[in-house]
Amino acid sequence: MKHWLTNVLLETGEYLKENDTVGTKVELFHLEITDGFISQIVPATDAIDSQNEVTDMKGKLLLPAFKEMHNHLDKTYLSLPWKACVPVKNLKERLDREAQELSVLATTGKQRAAAMIEKILKNGANHIRTHVNIDPYIGLKNLEGVLAALDDYKDVVTSEVIAFPQHGLLRDDVPKLLREALRNGATMIGGLDPAGIDNSIEPSLYEVMDIAQEFNVDVDIHLHDGGHVGYYTIDKWIDIVEDAKYQGRTAISHAFSLGDVSIMEQHKIADRLAQQQVKIMSTVPFDLRRLIPPIELLTEHGVDVHFGCDGFYDSWSPNGSGDILEKATTFADISRKLDERSIRQTLKYITSGVTPLDANGQKVWPNVKDEASFVFFDAVSSAEVIARKPSNRVVMSKGKFIN
Amino acid sequence: MSKLLLKNVRLEEAYERENEHIVATRTGIYDVLIEDGHVQQVDKDIVADEDVEVIDAQQQLLVPSFREMHIHIDKTYFGGEWQAPRPITKGILTRIEEERTLLPKQLPTAAYRAEEMVKWLISQGHTHIRSHCNVDPQIGTKHIEITKQVLANYQDQITYDIVAFPQHGLLRSNVEGLIREAMAMGATLVGGVDPSIVDRNIEKSLQTTMGIAQDYNAGIDIHIHTANTLGEFEFYKLIELTKQAKKEGQVTISHAMALADLEQSRLENLVQAMAEVQMDVTTTVPIDLNRSTIPIPYLYNNGVKVSVGHDSLTDHWSPYGTGNTIMKLNVMAERFRFIDEYSLSRAWKYASGGITPLNDVGERVWPQVGDKANMLLVDGVSTAHVIARRCPITTVISQGKMIHQQDVGELKGEFR
Repeated sequence: MKHWLTNVLLETGEYLKENDTVGTKVELFHLEITDGFISQIVPATDAIDSQNEVTDMKGKLLLPAFKEMHNHLDKTYLSLPWKACVPVKNLKERLDREAQELSVLATTGKQRAAAMIEKILKNGANHIRTHVNIDPYIGLKNLEGVLAALDDYKDVVTSEVIAFPQHGLLRDDVPKLLREALRNGATMIGGLDPAGIDNSIEPSLYEVMDIAQEFNVDVDIHLHDGGHVGYYTIDKWIDIVEDAKYQGRTAISHAFSLGDVSIMEQHKIADRLAQQQVKIMSTVPFDLRRLIPPIELLTEHGVDVHFGCDGFYDSWSPNGSGDILEKATTFADISRKLDERSIRQTLKYITSGVTPLDANGQKVWPNVKDEASFVFFDAVSSAEVIARKPSNRVVMSKGKFIN
Repeated sequence: MSKLLLKNVRLEEAYERENEHIVATRTGIYDVLIEDGHVQQVDKDIVADEDVEVIDAQQQLLVPSFREMHIHIDKTYFGGEWQAPRPITKGILTRIEEERTLLPKQLPTAAYRAEEMVKWLISQGHTHIRSHCNVDPQIGTKHIEITKQVLANYQDQITYDIVAFPQHGLLRSNVEGLIREAMAMGATLVGGVDPSIVDRNIEKSLQTTMGIAQDYNAGIDIHIHTANTLGEFEFYKLIELTKQAKKEGQVTISHAMALADLEQSRLENLVQAMAEVQMDVTTTVPIDLNRSTIPIPYLYNNGVKVSVGHDSLTDHWSPYGTGNTIMKLNVMAERFRFIDEYSLSRAWKYASGGITPLNDVGERVWPQVGDKANMLLVDGVSTAHVIARRCPITTVISQGKMIHQQDVGELKGEFR
């Protein structure tokens, strides 16, 4: 199946504007898509001789499809009537409330997950990494719903499904349940606050790694624990990764503690994270009580950082939009990125590192043989997309337009 | 006599409790009759006379409209081509230097862009705009002229204030005469910016500002960005001058960053002193990593009114503004962790000049017969819902007239 996308705007370099600021150079091209991949890129001045389908993109800017790297498809209230959160005094109360609600929500699992996938996809992300509660209250119920919803989108959305011990790992039959989840469709193993929730840092981390090795799956651990207890937990996890030779296969989500320690300690752990290729997932919260990890410092050290929307509109928070681009905008805004070049570079956190131009302004994407997964915008540069968040977007995943 | 009948609007009636917690907002479906810009009747079933324009709200929520309390419509890229700002090298002075050449260059498009901005703000539910307007040695009072003209074109749709704003420093750029000229031309408030770091003479800068305000019988809105004790010092000076000039209730501090980083006991004293002279504050709810946000709920609860504004949509200062006040309230909700029905619901007042459908104890207080008919129809089921889920505005009503409608597709109500 061949398909021409004509008059597509690509970023091709930088130039100095009249007013002495850096601007992004763009040019029009035609792209030929064959079986979900780019098969030709020609200047828009070339005539295309094709019997095949042609879609005129009318000068829309092409960006790589986004990646949603931290979500909870199982928790959302989307598709249900409006409901705010009930105030609670502490985390334990919040977890108790969630526990009460879990079995009620489980009956609509597939429907709610599908509503979330739909939102995420239409906003331009065609990959979703989701955590799914595996707990003593509902067992594998949520997993079934999420897998069924993802199955309906399997042609256009790739996914990673993490068996996530939200109510603690070292309790009841949870390790057994997690193993069961991994036998029944989960593709990664999760973890949660070894200090704050399991009250047992090393055994909790070792259990996670044991399960990971047993099933040969990757790991993504939620770590909200702040200050030095969180810092130590990450440091210890890096030891375990090194011993298990699990480089490049693990991630820490949230990692607020990295924002709580001194700059010297940040540099130290950033080096270790980079060596062992431990990734950091952030949802870029700006709650006054939270410090986020030092994302730029981590990036400078070569640590892979990815953004996610997190679970939203659920028993934890009624806010949030499911637009991963908004996370990039928020990060650019709160870290005071003002000029074209620095705004543009924020894109990499939501595309798994793929950007049309590299840090020096050289064109590096797209190329022939790249997957045809894109988001089109009415804009003249990726910096404009991030700063102004144009609302009209057209999404293509693996060569298919998403309506 | 213009009459408008809103059929089937959803009004908030009370908070619903579960044990000790407020968990939801009870609403009812009503008709609201508006006559000559004011609410005439609120009832279950009002029959329309022949001369009445009728809108069927289809059970959408009726809420008070917004007031944009801090914006610069006179210097914007909005409506023009995308342009990223240049990197900052000398703090606020970077921008002041830049403006010397940039603003004269933008003069030919200034009116067009200002108008684009006003139209956008109206579409986002604002029925009042307070615009700061540059008065500086290069631009003179040309921006005042432009702003006045543009806003005058919309005076049947919105109310407004124009602040004569000495962006390059009242003393620093020596514009006292120009500010007076601007006030004589019809600016409604005297502006100011950082008496310390820009003017480098706190005492004289504030006194001169207050002097102009007295001569023109006007209020004041002054940008103060300075941190902790310096800001505190400036605020106290301004409070003192406010008392002397009997300008209670007429002085606003914009940004007021110092309130974000004063230690609690000093904050308490300062807030009390501000409340005594009914000094109010406007904020953009900044969420920068290196900056805190002023403690908005604390200030409001202790007698200092806080209003939100967007400041900029996209200009040489920042490219990140949206002009979407529901989004702004949502950002505030995330910043302050408003996650329950009550705290979300109470946030509306920061954008509406204090008007909310329910009061703090959950009694229905709006709309009442006689209230100004500045209102919005929103596809949501409670103010909390609208803020949390960023429900879209479909209709803007100002002074009893429908001034904007937006097609949002199929109405989704509680499923937004």
